[in-house]
Amino acid sequence: MHVLDALGNPVRRAILSELRAGPLSVGEIAAGLPVSRPAVSRHLRVLEDAGLVQAREEGTRNVYSVRMHGFASVREFVDEFWDTALARIEELARR
Amino acid sequence: MMVKSVTLPLTPIAAFELFTQKASEWWPKDRRHSGDSDSEIFMLPSGRFYERARSGHEVELGHVQAWDQPNRILLDFFVATSPERPTEVEVTFAAQEGGTHVTVIHRPKPSSADLWSARAPLYAQSWDLALAAMARAAA
Repeated sequence: MHVLDALGNPVRRAILSELRAGPLSVGEIAAGLPVSRPAVSRHLRVLEDAGLVQAREEGTRNVYSVRMHGFASVREFVDEFWDTALARIEELARR
Repeated sequence: MMVKSVTLPLTPIAAFELFTQKASEWWPKDRRHSGDSDSEIFMLPSGRFYERARSGHEVELGHVQAWDQPNRILLDFFVATSPERPTEVEVTFAAQEGGTHVTVIHRPKPSSADLWSARAPLYAQSWDLALAAMARAAA
């Protein structure tokens, strides 16, 4: 899932907001949100797949933190966008 | 500022029409904000620049600032940021031997300058603002 799609969900944005203050366990994250712990785990998986958070084992629990380099800048976003778009435009023009 | 270009084996008018009328065909499928990868994308001389999902749901992608067919089109672009803080896309179509040289210049505007190259601040400092468009699209 793309970064911006992963962010297109209010619960996931709330999780990232909590993690901006520092690493937290699933239980700590769930305590601050009106959703169940399994739901938080599911959202964390989406965020992890998108490269936005990383998990670290600490004893018996997983601690999550924000993975800063998972965030694309606007410039990086548009750079990739136009590379894909122009390749497609070239293909259409040659038909 | 980001500059990219491509030479197409078309006249400037045909290249301009491909860019504006066939946006649904070249716009990356994984960058559709209506949530429908087969949505239609419209860029109109009237100024409207939007996406319409097959469900009929519409999302504004920006605004056409200048429509100088067949030489140039200037767009306010909401996609990477938000309607409150657009970036700007200028596309020029110049005849050259063998076709048309299409140049895309994508740059921040004063309101989006701070979002342009910063990675974390794009979401950390302007969290709600930058994501408003995406949240609406995902709703």
